Amino acid sequence: MADDKSVEAKVKTEEEKGRLRSGLKEGIEAVKGLYDSYAVTAKHLFRKPITEQYPEDKRKLPARSRARIILTRDPEGQERCVACYLCSGVCPVSCISMQSAEREDGRRYAQWFRINFSRCIFCGLCEEACPTLAIQLTSDFEICRRDLLELVYEKEDLLTDHGGKNETYDFYRHAGVSVKGDKGEHIGERPPVNVKTNLP
Amino acid sequence: MWLFGLLVLLIKIAAILAVVFGTAAYLILLERKLLGRLQIRLGPNRVGFGGILQPIADGMKVLLKEDLIPADADRTIFKFAPAVVASGALLILAVIPLGRPLTVRGYEIPLIITDLNVGLLYVFALSSMSVYGMALGAWASNSKYSLIGGIRGAAQMISYELSLGLSLVPVALMAGSLNLTEIVEAQANYPFILAQPVAFLIFLISAMAEAKRLPFDLPEAENELIGGFHTEYSGMRFALFFVGEYVNMVVIGALVAVFFLGGWHGPWLPGPVWLFLKAMIVPVFMIWTRATLPRLRYDQLMQFGWKILLPVALLNILITGGILVWING
Amino acid sequence: MPLLTIDNMDIEVPRGTKVIDAAEQLGIMIPRFCYHKALGPAVGACRLCAVKFMEGPVKGIQMSCMVEAADGMKVSTTDPEAVDFRRHVIEWLMMNHPHDCPVCDEGGHCLLQDETVSSAHSLRRFPGLKRTYRNQDIGPFLRHEMNRCIHCYRCVRYYQEITGYRDLGAMQLASRVYFGRFEEGPLESPFSGNLIELCPTGVFTDKPSRFRARRWDLQRAETLCIHCSMGCNIIANVRYREVIRIEPRYNSEINGYFICDRGRYGFSYVNHESRPRMAQVDGQNLTTAEALRKTAARISDVAQGEGPSAIAALLSPRSSLETLASLSHLAKSRKWKTVSGIFDPGRRSRIRSAVQHLHSDTAISMQDLKNRDFILVLGADPLNDAPMLVLALRQAWRSGAKIAVMDPRPIFLTFDFDHLPATPGEMRACMGAILDSAFEGEKVADEKGAAFLDSLESSSGNEGAHAEMPHRIDAIAEALKKSQRPAIVCGTDMAAEGTGTLAADTVRFLRSRNQEAALLYLMNYPNAFGQTLLEDSDTLTFEACLEEIEEGRIKALLIAEADPFFHYPDRPRLEKALEKLDLLALFDYLPSGTAEKADHFLPTSTLFESSGSYVNHEGRIQRFHPVYEGGTPMLQINDGDHPPRVYDTDGVPGGDPRPADRLIAELGQVLSGDGEVFSDDPWKNLTADIAPFFKYRHLDAPPENVRILPDESSVFEGNREPQSDGDAEAEGLQIIYTEWIFGTEELAAFSKTLRPAEKEPFVCLHSDDAAPLGIGQNDPVRIDFGGDCVLESRAKLFDRMARGVLVIPRHYRLDWKISGRFGGRARIERLRETPGSPSPLEREEQ
Repeated sequence: MADDKSVEAKVKTEEEKGRLRSGLKEGIEAVKGLYDSYAVTAKHLFRKPITEQYPEDKRKLPARSRARIILTRDPEGQERCVACYLCSGVCPVSCISMQSAEREDGRRYAQWFRINFSRCIFCGLCEEACPTLAIQLTSDFEICRRDLLELVYEKEDLLTDHGGKNETYDFYRHAGVSVKGDKGEHIGERPPVNVKTNLP
Repeated sequence: MWLFGLLVLLIKIAAILAVVFGTAAYLILLERKLLGRLQIRLGPNRVGFGGILQPIADGMKVLLKEDLIPADADRTIFKFAPAVVASGALLILAVIPLGRPLTVRGYEIPLIITDLNVGLLYVFALSSMSVYGMALGAWASNSKYSLIGGIRGAAQMISYELSLGLSLVPVALMAGSLNLTEIVEAQANYPFILAQPVAFLIFLISAMAEAKRLPFDLPEAENELIGGFHTEYSGMRFALFFVGEYVNMVVIGALVAVFFLGGWHGPWLPGPVWLFLKAMIVPVFMIWTRATLPRLRYDQLMQFGWKILLPVALLNILITGGILVWING
Repeated sequence: MPLLTIDNMDIEVPRGTKVIDAAEQLGIMIPRFCYHKALGPAVGACRLCAVKFMEGPVKGIQMSCMVEAADGMKVSTTDPEAVDFRRHVIEWLMMNHPHDCPVCDEGGHCLLQDETVSSAHSLRRFPGLKRTYRNQDIGPFLRHEMNRCIHCYRCVRYYQEITGYRDLGAMQLASRVYFGRFEEGPLESPFSGNLIELCPTGVFTDKPSRFRARRWDLQRAETLCIHCSMGCNIIANVRYREVIRIEPRYNSEINGYFICDRGRYGFSYVNHESRPRMAQVDGQNLTTAEALRKTAARISDVAQGEGPSAIAALLSPRSSLETLASLSHLAKSRKWKTVSGIFDPGRRSRIRSAVQHLHSDTAISMQDLKNRDFILVLGADPLNDAPMLVLALRQAWRSGAKIAVMDPRPIFLTFDFDHLPATPGEMRACMGAILDSAFEGEKVADEKGAAFLDSLESSSGNEGAHAEMPHRIDAIAEALKKSQRPAIVCGTDMAAEGTGTLAADTVRFLRSRNQEAALLYLMNYPNAFGQTLLEDSDTLTFEACLEEIEEGRIKALLIAEADPFFHYPDRPRLEKALEKLDLLALFDYLPSGTAEKADHFLPTSTLFESSGSYVNHEGRIQRFHPVYEGGTPMLQINDGDHPPRVYDTDGVPGGDPRPADRLIAELGQVLSGDGEVFSDDPWKNLTADIAPFFKYRHLDAPPENVRILPDESSVFEGNREPQSDGDAEAEGLQIIYTEWIFGTEELAAFSKTLRPAEKEPFVCLHSDDAAPLGIGQNDPVRIDFGGDCVLESRAKLFDRMARGVLVIPRHYRLDWKISGRFGGRARIERLRETPGSPSPLEREEQ
């Protein structure tokens, strides 16, 4: 019995020692942790700030930055937009509205086209959805206005005279509707089937 | 004669208030600049040269802002609470000795507003006052965020009040007095920080908790409680809370200087300057800490206060007392 | 009943069910392009509905539309092999696709688009050139874009088999198959619009709504077609406050999957540029509330001065049940007179007798006609009186029914039928001849039936007027005798008095012979049935009303949604009479002739902007729901430019029109200002006032799809009066005014979209009648009604119509409203053209 007790006591002291040791270790670690963190911040005090002074120091933004939206033109200077409603459909904040119509030459176009930049979140989904590369985001983000109404851009405000990120693409050269060129004259097309011949 | 005494008193009060408010205002700027640099940023640099006029711009802005009071707030207490916080901190300055008494044309002018012989108790009494201001403001706001902030603040300040008080007992024992002037005088040879490093650390930590500074800013914890106890405050009243906090930092700096760093003692420079310089050490350290340490969890905070700081402070009293009995026979 | 397992779910289906339908019953929609329930047996052209048969009589990949469900089949629609097969089908169908979805109107609700996306086909791997076709101009309604075709054959199957027209077909072979007309030109079928929905891709797209909107931007709601009495179910599509397109809505009882082109393109009266949208009092624009107050004040003045019987309210068959209920309740509660809005008294009494004779045991719906083995159309031209009837008759014919039409007009139908060109006066005799020939010598058990037969025999005095009739009558009689489930379709437009009773009696007689005979009346007006139910014995005919106005006994006339100037044949008399009124108040949405004359005009909303119910020709109540809030179409406000940048808070521009029943209820409230309570719930009024609605008193709103009919047929009416074609001795031809599919209907007359389909006004006469007068095909003619009433038009000559009649479609561009009568006789002569100067008609055309 006595042995048991002494063994128990021994175990207990061992345990206590272990606890003390680990406690001490923890304490040292804590102090070291504190010291390290203070040292890091102190070191930062003497580093050169990375701040860029915005209005004086304007960085050139990457071409794919997402800011003010434009409507581009195809290589022939025609409006690329066919008012397919994909951008307004995908817009998560419903800031794009338009009315599509048919031009005399059969071309589909936007009779009116409006983007409310006070609602726009510049997510770029419209550009992603655009099948004709018409709607594109530019890196011009400085469009703050005091009057919200000035942020409602109409088609005239949105239209540019260039092709934006792609100067060569022309939707109507690819699509098989005869707006630009007859059937069979678009890229990758065979001449039209002659339905009135029996020749194979 | 009494008129002259009153005049001198008023001049002293005005001077101290001017210096403390100026310091508090620029402490805010200092915090923002320093914090910026500690985070490799620039900090405010737009108003005046290098942002030097920022505190004035901030002050004007805050004074001109609309003072909103929530619809269901307890209006009287709501309006009154910020004053309690600010005045509590300011009143402590009355007992802080700024230097040796000046002698002007034979009149001795003590560089202290009132030389209380129980100055230490007065300090404790007033530092406990600010919990009222905060808890009342939080209660009166009638907002859940404010209320939680207030409850946290009250619990935290009551817990750390104990260690704060106990940590100064050895200082009083060593100085043999509760009078702050005499405590400073007792450090003529060496500052108490050398004899009482543990008491200094406990006081510093408790004081940071009292001042609700990081890592102990649970009562205002922006990312959980919006603004904690001052969520519903705006304009001038918010400014009072805000300035009160910085005045509090200055006061804590001054107290640390008085209790541990030898007060106005120092070579070459006049006493008040030494005191000011010493008083700025703790605020700067607090800012540095803010840039370094994350906020504690609430249970960690309580555990640290009750299970570590309090026993260590008691032990420190015991050891100091023992040694003093042994030395003095 | 085969029991099969599809995707581990068991289902038992009737024998003959295709696997694709069985799966649909389980909620599994197997992709398909060519299969369509309405198009009959599957052809397996598109190969998209491939599924894998794991166990059972067939095994492996099979087309689920071609395989009949059989016992023990185990089918997997998700088997990797089947999925891969379908993926490849999509890929090769997309090989020649022109990739023009952004400029295709089908985009957004395109089956091909959906299936392509769902099969994850996103890149054209095939590097070869695409096959192309030239498009055709196929008329004003449809746009043809053959490059998008996937050769599912749905269009041709529908066009040739369902509608029976042959001018659209498949040409060429192999991968060059072309669906179109042999020569460019408008599609002949008046059901061509359904090609738009049937085409799984964008080969046929809607022309009037071309490039207007995507499906996801449209406001859509379930509503009804009110261009005839059939009550076809439709969905209306609205974009920026403009109805731009109508689509059929499936209804298994009425229209099935389809609608006719009049219903589809006759909607644009809603968007009419000069549609009155402001209340007007004596030519002055007012708010609706002010106008209502003024109208009420004027009515009160008349009531005080002349008594309440000097006020009359006209119940229009164009109005919804709710509007009619409000107006008749108001009239009853204030002791006003009511006037029938069916202006032709003959037509009114025919519709009344139709409503009386229709019972739930004899009434059938349009789709029921498909199951009939003998159909006799009596005094109606299916195509022009109720276009959708043609599709129903054709389907009946396809499943073996015999169709006979007894009508004086030249009838054109796309299937074999027997035409008995009887004049209205001869119909009774003709019917007698048929029944006589069918049941001669047969013992008629029922006494009354025998009496009915006798009465017919006695009236068939003038039979055999036409040489070709007898043998046709025998053929018809033979078919009628053999028929198990005969049906009689009876028109109410131009048949003689008593024809409705004749049809009902015939049906009763056939039923007494244990034949399952059924009856269908056509009524032309969308709510003629409901309007007739709301009339009571005191309701005046419009003639009587006019007389009372002329005599000064009626001083105020309230009209809801009717236009006497469009329907009444004596315009000068009408104008004079209406001027005598103290108050002519009109609640309407059309810029009609009456709207110009009305003292007080209150704008009402169309059925697309309101809710309510109509009762169709078989007594079925159907409800419609508002599609949009109303207001002037955006395009009309800003003329194609951007919409206004700033909106004021006064509501929608042009949003004044309100539902007529609400306006009338409010008028009632204003009138009963001093303490009386006026019930403004039309449905409550209806169930309180009108007998057939009593049993629905517990409902808050009209029931949907319920027939308001008495349960049992009454006994034979036996109208014994011999019919006649009027004064046979008088000179000239008997005039028969008729409806025509395009051009005579009131709402369609204000619809710009239908304009291109309308033909020039014309009159029809038998070539034997024309020859002695020297009138040739398409000659300009002058019709002399006597007096100074002269009408100029063009003549169309037919061999296949009754002799001695002059059929005049009530074309809105034909000035027939000077004739002064709803019938009668007139002389016709060839209009002599003086050389050099163009005829008045040609001048008009220029």
